[in-house]
Amino acid sequence: MSRPFLLLFVFTLGCPGPAWSQDTQDFLKHGEQVFNRSCATGYCHGARGTAGGAPRLAAREFDQAFIRDTVSRGVPGTAMAAFEKILSPQDLAAVVAYVASLNGIAHPEPVPPGGPAPTQSASPALSPEAARGRGLFSDSQRGFGRCSTCHELNGIGISVATPIASVPTDVQALRAMATPEVSTVSFGHETMPALVVSKGNRSVIFFDLTIPPPVLRTVSPGKAEFAQGSGWKHSSVIGSYREDELTAILDFLRAIVAR
Amino acid sequence: MSQNLYSSRQKRSYRCFSDISCGSVPRDSKTALARFITLSAVFLLAVASAHAQDGATGADWPNYGGTPMAWRYTALKQINAANVKNLAPAWIFQTGDYAENLQATPIVIDGIMYLITARDQVFALDAATGRVIWRYEYPATKAERPGSFAGLTQNRGVAVGEGKVFFGTNDTYLVALDQKSGRELWKVSVEDPKQCGCNIYAAPLLVNDKVIVGENGSDVAHRGHLTAFHAETGRLAWRWNAIPGPGEKGHDTWKGDSWNFGGGAAWTTGSFDPQLNLVYWGTGNPAPDFYDAGRLPGTTQDRDVNLYTDCIVALDADTGKLRWYYQELPGDIMDFDSAYEIVLVDRELNGQLRKILIHVNKSGITFVLDRVTGEFLDAFSMPEVQTWMTRVAGDGRVIGRKHPEVGKTMNLCPGPAGAKSWNQIAYSPKTGLMYAPINELCADVTANNEGPQEGAFAMGAAVEMKLPPGRTSYSHLDAWDPVTGKRIWSYSYQYVLMASVLATGGDLVFTGDPEGNFFALDSRTGEKLWSYQTGAGNRGSAISYSVNGRQYIVTPTGWQQSQVGGAAAGLFPDQQWRQGSTVVVFALPEGSR
Repeated sequence: MSRPFLLLFVFTLGCPGPAWSQDTQDFLKHGEQVFNRSCATGYCHGARGTAGGAPRLAAREFDQAFIRDTVSRGVPGTAMAAFEKILSPQDLAAVVAYVASLNGIAHPEPVPPGGPAPTQSASPALSPEAARGRGLFSDSQRGFGRCSTCHELNGIGISVATPIASVPTDVQALRAMATPEVSTVSFGHETMPALVVSKGNRSVIFFDLTIPPPVLRTVSPGKAEFAQGSGWKHSSVIGSYREDELTAILDFLRAIVAR
Repeated sequence: MSQNLYSSRQKRSYRCFSDISCGSVPRDSKTALARFITLSAVFLLAVASAHAQDGATGADWPNYGGTPMAWRYTALKQINAANVKNLAPAWIFQTGDYAENLQATPIVIDGIMYLITARDQVFALDAATGRVIWRYEYPATKAERPGSFAGLTQNRGVAVGEGKVFFGTNDTYLVALDQKSGRELWKVSVEDPKQCGCNIYAAPLLVNDKVIVGENGSDVAHRGHLTAFHAETGRLAWRWNAIPGPGEKGHDTWKGDSWNFGGGAAWTTGSFDPQLNLVYWGTGNPAPDFYDAGRLPGTTQDRDVNLYTDCIVALDADTGKLRWYYQELPGDIMDFDSAYEIVLVDRELNGQLRKILIHVNKSGITFVLDRVTGEFLDAFSMPEVQTWMTRVAGDGRVIGRKHPEVGKTMNLCPGPAGAKSWNQIAYSPKTGLMYAPINELCADVTANNEGPQEGAFAMGAAVEMKLPPGRTSYSHLDAWDPVTGKRIWSYSYQYVLMASVLATGGDLVFTGDPEGNFFALDSRTGEKLWSYQTGAGNRGSAISYSVNGRQYIVTPTGWQQSQVGGAAAGLFPDQQWRQGSTVVVFALPEGSR
C-alpha cells in the first residue's frame, strides 16, 4: 500500500436530510445518506466506502478518533477538505460514525468527546436586498462582467483591486468613482490603463485593464513607461448591472465592509 | 449559426460509405445511383483540387495531438516494425513533482522539449539529452473549493507558439511564458475556482493568434465555456458558453434555471482545421450527471435536449460563433461526456475526398461526421460489454438507453469511468485505421435527487465501480476502420488501458499500461513486437520526434492516484500501480539504426 491516504470527500451544503436521532440505527442511516451525497460519488470514495477515485475507506481498521480527526480537519495539500467547516455538527458526527461502522466499529460514539465539533461562525445576517446584492456581486452568468472579476470579498472573487475600504453612497457615486490608482502604461506599441502591482529591479508587474478580465503582465523595467492617471472608468466595467441591481450590491457592500 | 441537423441525419441513414467494405449492410439502390452520378460529375474536379490535409508530425511534435488535426501520428519511420526490438532508453528525466502523476503530452520544437507536471511546473529540456534549459514553477495554490475539481491537481500539456509557452492551471488561470527564458509574461483568470469548483487540466489550443482553453466542470455544478485569449497580450478575444443563456437558441432545452449550472464543460483539447478556419471541440455531460428531473425540459424528445452538452461543436476560430453542432447523447444521464479528442481526417469516400471527423465519447461510441456541415455519417460502438443501451441506429441515435431511478441501484456497463478515458486514440494514414484503448468497466449506480450547488460536485448518484462478470481481461487496444466500423484487430490486456496511443510511419502503435509496461504493436496485425518496463504506471501521452536525424519515442510515466486512475486501481486490490513523474525517452542505439 503505497498510495497516500488521500481522503477525497465531496460536500454538499444545504441538502435536506432526515432529523438526527440518537438511536444508533437511525444515526448510522443518516450517516450513510450524508456519505452517499457527499463522499460516494464517482471521483471519491465510492458507495459504502469501497473506493472510487479516492481510496477505500471500508475495512481499513481505522479507529473513530482517526476518522473524526481526518474528516474534521482534512488532509492538507490534498482535495480532502476540513469538513468541520462544511457539514453541520450533526451531519459530521453521523458520517464519522458511518465510516466507523464500515471499519467494524459496531457501536460508534455518536458525539465526539468534549462535545460537537466546532462550527463556523454563523454568517452575518443580511437583509433580503443585501443578500440579493451578494448573489449579484459574483453572478457567474455575467461572465467577466461581474464584480468578482476584479474584487475578492468573503472568499469569492479575484483580488485584482485592493480590498474595498469604503462604499459609495449611491449608484451615481459608484459610476462616477474616481480611480487615481489606475495609471497609463506604454509598452512596445501598446498603451493601456494599468493597475501597478510592483516595480522591481528585475520586473514590473501590472494588471492590464484594457478589457475584462484584467491580465497580469510582467515586463522588464526599462521596457515600460508609466504616466499618472488614465481614461479608464469604473463605470465601463459594471454595465451588465441595472440600477436596482447596483443598489442591491451597494447594500451588500455596506453590510460587509462596515464590519 | 447553429442548425438542426436531424433532418440531414434522416436523409443520410446509411451506415457505411465505402462500396468496397460495406459488406452486407443494405443499401438503397436509388441512393447509390444518385451518389454515383453525383460523384462522376465532381470526380475530375475532386482529383484536380482535392488536397488532403496532412495531420502527421515530423521532426517536431508541435501540438497536443501532434498537429491540430489530432492524429497522434508521426511520419517518422527510423524506428519500425523490423528494428523496434532494439529500442532502448536514451535518457530519462524525473520532474521531482510527485504530487499525482504525469499526464502531459510533451511538446517538441526545434530540439527542445516542453513539459508540464501535475502541479504546473514547466520544463524546457534538451530533447537529445534531457538537460534542463529552464524551469518555471507556478506558485502553489490552495484547494480553495474542496469537494470539487478545484481541489485536484493535474495537467495534460502546454501549447507552444508565438514565442510563448501557454498552460492552464489548477486555480483556473491561463499563463504565458517566454519560450526562450521561461519567464512569465502574462496570466489571466479564466474562472474563479472558489466559485466554479473548476480548474484547467487541458492543454490549451493555439489557433492563429489566439489561445483557446476550456475548464473542467461537468461533474460539478458549473456552466462550461470555451474562452479565447490573444496570444500576445492575454486579453479576452471571445467566449463561447456551452449552455445558451436566456434569449439564445437552445435555451429552451433546459428546465427553469437548471441551465445556470448545467455542465457541458469542454475539458479536453480541441482540434482546428485551418482551411475551414473552424475549431472543433467536444462538450461534457449535463449536471447533475445521474439525476435529470431538474434539468429536462417539459417536452419528450430524443434530440436537442440540454444543449450543448454531449455535443461536437464547430466554432469560427476568429469569433467563437457556433457554426454547427451535433449532439451525440441528448439529455445524457450516464456521465458519458463527449468532451474527448476530435480527429480530423481528409478521406476518400466513394471516390470523393471528404473532410470528416472521428470522435469517440466516453460510452465508447465512435461518431463519424462531415466536419464542414456536421452531417452524420456513421457511428459504431467499441466496448464488448454494454448494458446501458441496446444499439446504435443507422442515423446515429442511441436506442434503448437505460435511465437510473432515484433510490434504486442499477448496474451499468460501461459505468461513469467510461469505455474510454480522456487518453487519446491515434490515427494512421498508412493503414487508414484508428487505434483506441477500450476498457470494460461497469458500475453500480444509485441515483439520488441531490440538487446542484454552484461549484460543488453534482453527480446525483453514489457510484461503486464493478468489473463485468465472466471475464479475465478488462481492456483492449483495438484497430478499427472508421469508414466501415469494423474492428480489424484487438490486443487484449488484463487490467485497464489509460494511456494515449501513438501511431508511427514505421508501422507501429505504442501505448503503456498501469503496470509500467510501455510497448509496441504492429499497426497492421496487433502483434506485440517490443515492451519495456518503465518503472511506473503509464497514464500520459506518448509522442515521437527527431533531433539530428535520430528518432525518439517518449512516454510519460506515473500512475494517477485519484479520479479515474485511482478508481480503476481500486478494482484490482492485489495490484500496486506505481506513481511517479518521469519521462522515459527511447531511441535505437547508435549503430543499430
